[in-house]
Amino acid sequence: MILTEQQSDSLTELINIAFSRTAAALSDLTGQRVFMDMPEIAIYPIADLVGALETVVPEEITTVHQIFEGPVGGDALLLLDYEGAVKLAEMLTDEHHATHRLDASDREVLTEVGNILLNACLSMFGNILEVHVSFSVPRLRLEALSQLLESLIIRKEGLRYALVAHTAFRLHDSAVEGHLIIVLGVTALDRLLQAVDTLG
Amino acid sequence: MAKILIVDDSKLSRRTMRRILESAAHEVVEASEGMSALEQYVVEQPDLVIMDLTMHGMHGLDLLAQLHSLNPMGRFIVASADIQRTTLVMVEGAGASAFIPKPFMADHVLNTVHSVLAGGQHDPH
Repeated sequence: MILTEQQSDSLTELINIAFSRTAAALSDLTGQRVFMDMPEIAIYPIADLVGALETVVPEEITTVHQIFEGPVGGDALLLLDYEGAVKLAEMLTDEHHATHRLDASDREVLTEVGNILLNACLSMFGNILEVHVSFSVPRLRLEALSQLLESLIIRKEGLRYALVAHTAFRLHDSAVEGHLIIVLGVTALDRLLQAVDTLG
Repeated sequence: MAKILIVDDSKLSRRTMRRILESAAHEVVEASEGMSALEQYVVEQPDLVIMDLTMHGMHGLDLLAQLHSLNPMGRFIVASADIQRTTLVMVEGAGASAFIPKPFMADHVLNTVHSVLAGGQHDPH
């Protein structure tokens, strides 16, 4: 499955707008300037998904996972490397952790941060495409990326290809880095492309 | 000064909203999910309820419908990160007086709260 140049261009711009709203929300939360890379859009056969993402995402990660449903549905992931997650939680709770481990309070804070960031992104997505997207309650997950992705694949037996929209972001005054990933199956991707084509 | 019930399953969001509201001398009570919010509403009789949408257990729109049936003249604000236009229409249709987007900006929160407490509808669009 290959995107035309025009589809790729439109999708990249759409995702860029949605991810930029996410960056603005993170900047509002932390009071820091957020730098975000231009998003990359790619379609992977499901068997190649883990390998493709392992090249850009560290293995020891903290993930906020939110399922979205509607005319365009899929999985949205906010990935933070573990150290970055601890630092972000410290920034938002004004607490310093000698142990560098995430406690229950940190996990709760990071879940809400993920909720805000993923909703900012997907809401913009819904607004531009003029479709309504429903959100699940976000879940914080601490397993390795490969296990996380395999659980997504198992949950969706019909998933053969996935659209992955990926970007990395950094906070100006700290070493917090993260990744945003949206995974869509082919059916959702077809609907998304139809909607994108109507944008002109 | 008003008594305001905050309903959100996130401690971070409850804490942030409490700090903003208390800075304007409002009294705050909290609930972390819909069923306890309904109990608190009856017991505390707040002047205003500010509620999240995506919560464990009861969804915010269901809570809003139940609160609205308990008190059709009640004042209710939805506070959510779901900023879709379609969501704002649903929230308005379910009887909310206003919508506050997350993350919370203190000035916007207080302007919206004071407008609703003064009896006005705050255009969410």
